[in-house]
Amino acid sequence: MKVAFPYMGTTVIYKKLIELLGHDVVEPPEPTQRTIELGVKYSPEFACFPLKVVLGSYIEAVELGATTIVTSGGHGPCRAGFYGETHKKILRNLGYDVDIIVFDDYKSDKTGTIKKVRRLKNGKSWFYLWKSLKTVYSMAKSLDNIEKRIEKMRAYEVNRGECTKAWQTIKTWFDEVENIEDVRKTEGKSNKLLGEIKLIEVPEPNKIKIGIVGEIYVVMEQSINLRIEEMLGGLGAEVERSQYLSKWIDFNLLPKGIGKEHELNILKKGEKYIQEIIGGHAKQTVGHIVDYAERGFDGVVHLMPFACLPELVSQSIIPAISKEHNIPVITLSIDEQTGAANTLTRMEAFMDLIKSIKRTKIA
Amino acid sequence: MKIGIPRALLYYYYHPLWKTFFEKLGFEVVTSGKTTKELIDKGIKASVPEICVPIKIFNGHVLELLEAGVDYIFIPRMMSTRKGEFYCPKFMGLPDMVRYSIPGAKDKILFPKVTSLTDDISDFKIYSEMGETLGVSNKQIKAALLDGQKAWIEFRRITKEGYTALEVLDYVETGKKPQNPIKDYRVTIGLMGYVYDVYDEFVSMGIVDKLREMGVLVETFEMMDENLLDAELSDMNKRLFWTFSNKLLAAGYKFFKDGHIDGIIHVTAFGCGPDSLIGKIMELDSNEFGKPFMTIRVDEHTGENHLLTRIEAFIDMIYREKVKVKKEA
Repeated sequence: MKVAFPYMGTTVIYKKLIELLGHDVVEPPEPTQRTIELGVKYSPEFACFPLKVVLGSYIEAVELGATTIVTSGGHGPCRAGFYGETHKKILRNLGYDVDIIVFDDYKSDKTGTIKKVRRLKNGKSWFYLWKSLKTVYSMAKSLDNIEKRIEKMRAYEVNRGECTKAWQTIKTWFDEVENIEDVRKTEGKSNKLLGEIKLIEVPEPNKIKIGIVGEIYVVMEQSINLRIEEMLGGLGAEVERSQYLSKWIDFNLLPKGIGKEHELNILKKGEKYIQEIIGGHAKQTVGHIVDYAERGFDGVVHLMPFACLPELVSQSIIPAISKEHNIPVITLSIDEQTGAANTLTRMEAFMDLIKSIKRTKIA
Repeated sequence: MKIGIPRALLYYYYHPLWKTFFEKLGFEVVTSGKTTKELIDKGIKASVPEICVPIKIFNGHVLELLEAGVDYIFIPRMMSTRKGEFYCPKFMGLPDMVRYSIPGAKDKILFPKVTSLTDDISDFKIYSEMGETLGVSNKQIKAALLDGQKAWIEFRRITKEGYTALEVLDYVETGKKPQNPIKDYRVTIGLMGYVYDVYDEFVSMGIVDKLREMGVLVETFEMMDENLLDAELSDMNKRLFWTFSNKLLAAGYKFFKDGHIDGIIHVTAFGCGPDSLIGKIMELDSNEFGKPFMTIRVDEHTGENHLLTRIEAFIDMIYREKVKVKKEA
């Protein structure tokens, strides 16, 4: 069975899991203009942007020969939880013969989930599956740690683009790992590579820190969010995202009571503004803004797909938070129409604003 | 004390319950006026640009109530009225949005959390938290809810006889029994649309009346029995997450299968997220059933003539087809 997956963030992680289980992996290409156009063409006009991009990327994967697509579902109440069903219907209507395996909340459908796991397990033992999961999880952790380091370094690199290049190299290294021992070694090697990159010395108070919050897909997928991290890095800002894959695994897949303190803490911070979890990451978004303000960040970039249901709620509330916590926040709503030049201008203006606030603070 | 209820969103489904409830508790209930161009404009200014039209209208109604000087505005947090299902995220975050985005609203919102297993949301547990703010006892709340529940059940009962929500709301308020729905009709249309789109005369421009004037019998989801509707979705792999969207989709499937329905019109407001998916599902399935299906997307700019032309053309097409089939037979 030739297996593909939705393209989001550091895809080498999902690729590795499927590979370890002995399947042929069809890695969908990184979303390009063509992917977006394909997705837009066949998706409902008013569907949210990630649905369109993911559909485009599925079509490309099927063109490359994928026969099965594995993805996560959800329990709503945001539209993301219904992507799987919608994609199935659209692909079937287009005449593509592909099987989509959707992993929903395992609590609501235990037997169904086990059945799906058995299919993917590919005759391997449960122990082997457990070992593979552990390897992949440790890979997610290390890659996230490395990426976090890069997100800080980018602002100060002497030769533009060196960090991004190193990041590409590191991802290909991780593509080769086979067990936890390899992961550890590769992480060491990667950190050494990053250590060799020349950086400009900037005194601590002059450093500009920007948090990126919002809906998970546009925050994590750089090909869709106009490489906002590289853009901000190039303008001289350290960035930190609200979403990392390993954090998502911690919160959504691990059993109760393990590794959830961070996310629960964030949710608590958002409680004042959005009391209930209303789907997507709206409550986390407002929680993270408060968190960044408390940690002394200089500004926050809020990313959302055009007309994202939960993020519209947070967008409505953000002006109040920004005022109360005295932190500048800019919202970028992303869809197929978003242009890079326009966004760059807005980011430059935002950085100028932050710098002038900083100057008056220091003076 | 004056309690404001915005004439928007679920006003068209729950107003008899809420109005009776507050009145029995001895408060004056102020319902905002009908949606006007002016009111929408105010609402748009108070909302983020991308949000759907119904929410913009809602904000306009909240502003109107604030101007009218009410003491509290009732904006329940609609979470769930069926096990495993929710409301659209915008409904769930509605009180938060209003509190933090409309100036002067923050301390004036009553927002009990509505979680229930059925459409009947007159459960004491939902409303008890307001007791302290309003200065009423649990006993009073319970008694008022009983009356509210009666009013709502009556409202639903009459709706199912084939009357529109507007007619029945009017009946519950004034006691004036609505006239029989038209008897002579040439075409039957299944109208899919949320109550706050179909019955807000500014949004849908009175589409039900327009259709009736053309000799069309109109059926909507809220005129059908809940359990019957629910059965329509039993062969879906995964139901939608949103209760009212499920009702709409179920109604859509029923219209598809029902022999006496000649065509389906889906009225949706610009920017509605759940409808973007329902629309696609219906569109794909309409091929299978071979029934005419049309989507009308409305927003604050939609022109009345445009709407009229489209529905006229749609009805004429269906009618002609019907006559032709009869002749051939």
